[in-house]
Amino acid sequence: MSDLGPLTQAIKDGDRGAAEAQTQAAIDAGTSAQDILSALTDGMDDVGRRFKAAEIYVPNVLIAARAMNVSMALLEPQLVKEGIEPSCTVLVGTVEGDLHDIGKNLVAMMWRGAHFGVVDLGTNVSPDDFVKAAKETGATLCGLSALLTTTRSAMRTTIEAIREAGLTDLKVIVGGAPITQEYADEIGADGYAPDAGSAVEVARSLANV
Amino acid sequence: MNNRQRFDAAMHYQPRDRSPLQNFSFWAETLTEWRKQDLPEWVTLGNHTDFFGDDGGFEKFSIARSSSTGNAKPSDKGWVCAADLTIGWEPRFEEVVIEDRGEHELVQQADGVRVLRRKYMSSIPLHDSHLLVDRASWEKHYRPRFDPSTASRYPEDWKPYTTFWCDQGRDCPMFLPGGSLYGWIRNLMGLEAVSYVVHDDPAWFEEMVTTIADCIIGVLERVLACGARFEGCGIWEDMCFNGGPLLSPAHFKRFLVPHYERITSLLHKHGCDVIWVDCDGCIDELIPLWMDAGVNCMMPIEIGTWGADPVRYRREYGKDLLMMGGFDKHILADSTRAIEAEVDRLTPLIEEGGFIAYCDHRVPPDVSLEHYLFYTQKTRERWGGGVNLNPMADEAIALCGVHAR
Repeated sequence: MSDLGPLTQAIKDGDRGAAEAQTQAAIDAGTSAQDILSALTDGMDDVGRRFKAAEIYVPNVLIAARAMNVSMALLEPQLVKEGIEPSCTVLVGTVEGDLHDIGKNLVAMMWRGAHFGVVDLGTNVSPDDFVKAAKETGATLCGLSALLTTTRSAMRTTIEAIREAGLTDLKVIVGGAPITQEYADEIGADGYAPDAGSAVEVARSLANV
Repeated sequence: MNNRQRFDAAMHYQPRDRSPLQNFSFWAETLTEWRKQDLPEWVTLGNHTDFFGDDGGFEKFSIARSSSTGNAKPSDKGWVCAADLTIGWEPRFEEVVIEDRGEHELVQQADGVRVLRRKYMSSIPLHDSHLLVDRASWEKHYRPRFDPSTASRYPEDWKPYTTFWCDQGRDCPMFLPGGSLYGWIRNLMGLEAVSYVVHDDPAWFEEMVTTIADCIIGVLERVLACGARFEGCGIWEDMCFNGGPLLSPAHFKRFLVPHYERITSLLHKHGCDVIWVDCDGCIDELIPLWMDAGVNCMMPIEIGTWGADPVRYRREYGKDLLMMGGFDKHILADSTRAIEAEVDRLTPLIEEGGFIAYCDHRVPPDVSLEHYLFYTQKTRERWGGGVNLNPMADEAIALCGVHAR
């Protein structure tokens, strides 16, 4: 097994050239796909932790996620070959009436970095579309994003629609600029993520992965 | 005192008859909701000051409309000072609806960005695609548009404007547009792309910032040559979110601060000493950097979920930091008791000076007209002291009476 420390470091640094080279080297050395994946997710976990602690900024998260994507493109065939699947399927979307996508995209990147199977439903997603996607994918988690106070009420209607559809096992995480833990509790969300780094921790905790 | 004297006095901690009473305007759907609550049909986003009786939003006193071209002439009501002046990209791109998607439409904006926007709501649109994707597209589409010598960015006839700007007896404050060093580029290429550029090709990012700063300075020099003293200048950035800045403070310092310094030095040389940056989100980390660069006023001090507070900022930065905004718009949706408490809490800071309070962004539609009228009444009493106030419309006074019963 090759030393995977430099690969983890490449992800932390957002160095996609090094990430690509290190991933290929590890594959060529016969390192298991699971070990390589762990090295990558370790890197993204560190990025999430430092982002949460305000030690790094949005651009650092973006370039780290880009490096991760380069590595994952190389690793994907190995994962398939070894039968390694994402730890769980998660939906993510910006709620109905809201067209903002930056926060939602950051969370999706971090969740991909944690090797969740992310189904990005985009923006302005209706409660019915969340329910439909949850049924189709068998998702474990659903992340709802909103930027505006004027649109955050759609989180409540989405959660109501999910509960009314009988999707009792689907855990809902909410986040966005106008959202607080208090509001998340008020609308019956299972979790609240104040930032993209926290979204990974909250999701792991709710999904038990 | 007139609006000009009052603004000057408030921002320089001098005695004044009352505080300026400003607003950050409203979302269009707020007025739609309020019409169901008896707001008269004639009240629009363009004339609400006539209804509520405040001194008007700051755009009323700007000599240009941000990055675009204003069409108003010196005599037009509400745009008394606006010139046909563009400080940003010029010429503008043609605004075209590319595709009708029912409730939404795909549009090419005047900045060349294609966005998906709701037809009937006025929230921020979703970026679909950008013309600015690499150095070649910068050279082709934008670099030539940031040329301060382009004739079409200036009025054909300066005389009516400069006469007004230089008039010692002018009764309204005049504000210069200070452009944007990061926010424009972010909008032109998207957050993700600009973040990659800063990392992958910092020289190009620096080149774009320098080109834009040169353009801003070139336009300002031409305006300032008329000899007028402008009361303030507003820079727009919107470069923070609830977790802090979208650009790291280190990059901010390296790429932006030198150019803010160029702009603020020029303004100071011409006696313009109130220079604000318009930035939503959590600005805490950037405030000291902006101040070091000569920007001395923050607006709209969005309170948000991150605990911004003008009282705390005054404690931390003293009188060197001027502020505008800072009234949490969400309190307006709460209760009249909460509104009154916040008005009272901010009053000592307003009385001290260096702070002009108004809502920290557009008033959202979950605020009732009744609550907004209550806020208006209280601010007129406490911040306005009932002195030299613009009249509220009769219908507004009548509605206040109805609510009071």
